[in-house]
Amino acid sequence: MNIAIIGCGTMGMAYAGNLAAMPGVKVTGVVDINAGRAEKAAAVSGAKAYTDVDTLLQQEELETVAICLPTYLHKPFVLKLAEKGLHIICEKPAALTLEDALEMKAACEKHGVRLFIGHVVRFFPNYANAYRQAHSGVIGTAKMAHFKRYGSYPKGMDGWYSNHDQSGGVILDLMIHDIDFACWLFGEVESVFASVIKREEPEMEYAQVTLRFKSSAIANLTGYWGYPGPFTTQFEIAGDQGIIRFDSNQVQSLDIKLAAGPSGEQAAVQIPSSPSLHDPYYDEVQHFIKCIQDGSEPRVSAADACYAVEIALAAERSARTGQPVIMGGNAS
Amino acid sequence: MNKIKVGFISFAHMHAVSYLNSMQKREDVEVVGIADENAERVRPYSVERGIPYYANYDELLAQDLDAVVICSENARHAEITKRAAAAGKHVLCEKPLGLSESEMLDMIQTCKDNGVQLMTAFPCRFITSVRQAKEAIDAGQIGEILAMKGTNRGTMPGGWFIEREHSGGGAVLDHTVHVMDLMHWFTGSVAEEVYAHAETLFHETDIDDAGMVHVKFANGVVAVLDPSWSRNRTFPTWGDVTLEIIGTKGVINIDSFAQKNDVYSDITGKAAWSFWGDDMDEGLINSFVDSIRDGKPVAISGEDGYYSARVALAAYESASSKQTVRLK
Repeated sequence: MNIAIIGCGTMGMAYAGNLAAMPGVKVTGVVDINAGRAEKAAAVSGAKAYTDVDTLLQQEELETVAICLPTYLHKPFVLKLAEKGLHIICEKPAALTLEDALEMKAACEKHGVRLFIGHVVRFFPNYANAYRQAHSGVIGTAKMAHFKRYGSYPKGMDGWYSNHDQSGGVILDLMIHDIDFACWLFGEVESVFASVIKREEPEMEYAQVTLRFKSSAIANLTGYWGYPGPFTTQFEIAGDQGIIRFDSNQVQSLDIKLAAGPSGEQAAVQIPSSPSLHDPYYDEVQHFIKCIQDGSEPRVSAADACYAVEIALAAERSARTGQPVIMGGNAS
Repeated sequence: MNKIKVGFISFAHMHAVSYLNSMQKREDVEVVGIADENAERVRPYSVERGIPYYANYDELLAQDLDAVVICSENARHAEITKRAAAAGKHVLCEKPLGLSESEMLDMIQTCKDNGVQLMTAFPCRFITSVRQAKEAIDAGQIGEILAMKGTNRGTMPGGWFIEREHSGGGAVLDHTVHVMDLMHWFTGSVAEEVYAHAETLFHETDIDDAGMVHVKFANGVVAVLDPSWSRNRTFPTWGDVTLEIIGTKGVINIDSFAQKNDVYSDITGKAAWSFWGDDMDEGLINSFVDSIRDGKPVAISGEDGYYSARVALAAYESASSKQTVRLK
């Protein structure tokens, strides 16, 4: 499988490292408008570095492309690459609007290529375990849940994260992980209520969202860009016969403390990690590649990704109006 | 030394036991009597401790008393409080203060008219971590408060708590008020808008045992609170009181019962958390008694009880209308 990576920021570099190590996969090209970043990804993956997609497409024989660009660029690149007959693995969120996300999905269907959106939380072993446990019956029927996802304020190229028109903000970019997981767990959403706090100096955005599902389950989600503590995820799923809890600050299977202080340099976008043979991004991309190869359905579909965007935008709307947003129609 | 003479009216809410124990620890307090229509319920505390028992609380109120502690069913708080006030006794009333806005305002006014103090029993204000958080906030350590998330999840209490005519509501009423009071205390503001869910999700009962309560305060702070009776039988403790406070300069996390040892017992057949932190009920009782003794205003007023309980009442209104409710 020949694959190219477009966008060599934090996520593109993670893809480069993972794909380079994956059997049966060859990274043939990496693209970034910043030549230095493209070179770095090329060095990691053994691919050739490009600074524009057109040259990549002219020079390389590709089957699949991984899009690791800022959200506002997802749609134009997905449409362009689908037209070229390439399968697409695209970082989350799918797009900034539901219409754009649906258009991307439709374009891929029209051109007969697969579209996968990187809702990686479904591949995190702690979340996948919780999903299995919650559906195994050991906690009875899952009824309520809490999800928390806090990190530093992400620093993308030209500050694109802090531009709401480019990233969609903390709900669409960060909390969407938990929105997708909650919908995977509980199904279709009936209503959404949200509050958002956004400030400059120091830059922060914080959201609290309550989803009420058609199953009558309730979930409360909090997301925070600009959290002064370490990257933190927590969840609790309460059933009528049991509770499942996770706190990223209480699961260190390895702790190394060095006498000299930490070097101080912080990642542009924090990515959680826990000692494991492969990181969840590896498992996710490997799963998507397998789906391309054998035509099977992915753990998270393009329709699921569109739905997560729909719920995230409903939350934004609720935060603006101060009233709940009632969801209509079916999931996909 | 002139002792403060205290009577207890009703042990329907078992917090009465802990309040009684705290009262009896004090040298300057004399517990004059316990009134409860159910003699059996209070026998271990009245007869067995040598405290006079009264079947009728009016008889207790006729005694030489400074103050009463009321731990009746919620639905009787107003009636008993007003009778005690009319008899000239200061009142410490279990939460929620009352079941309607008008009833609570009436309680507050009656106490004022009779020159007695009314304190709402919110022991969470006396959790040591909560008090230190309040000090940190007041000292400006986290700047201005922007948002809060709280939980007061518990075990389904059963009994009269799930009989609407006695309790007035389920988990949302029972467990919204504690943390809502802390939110009011920390922000110094008042809840202005409420959006909530109130559902029966966990137990075979007609009353709400689950909910989620969103609040906007007059000063712009937003908050959300989970008051559900969602702790199952094998959860290692009865429940929690947590509060996360997001400020412009920092974040405070309170996990009130985190001071615990993990106990793994083959005898009980489950893992349990054994709490070793300070006793909040003792702090509440000491504060009440000190205020009465010194003639100072109580630390948690009837108004405080009113402001929190009306959020729970608005939560039910919102849950039924599926709209945000604006408080006046």
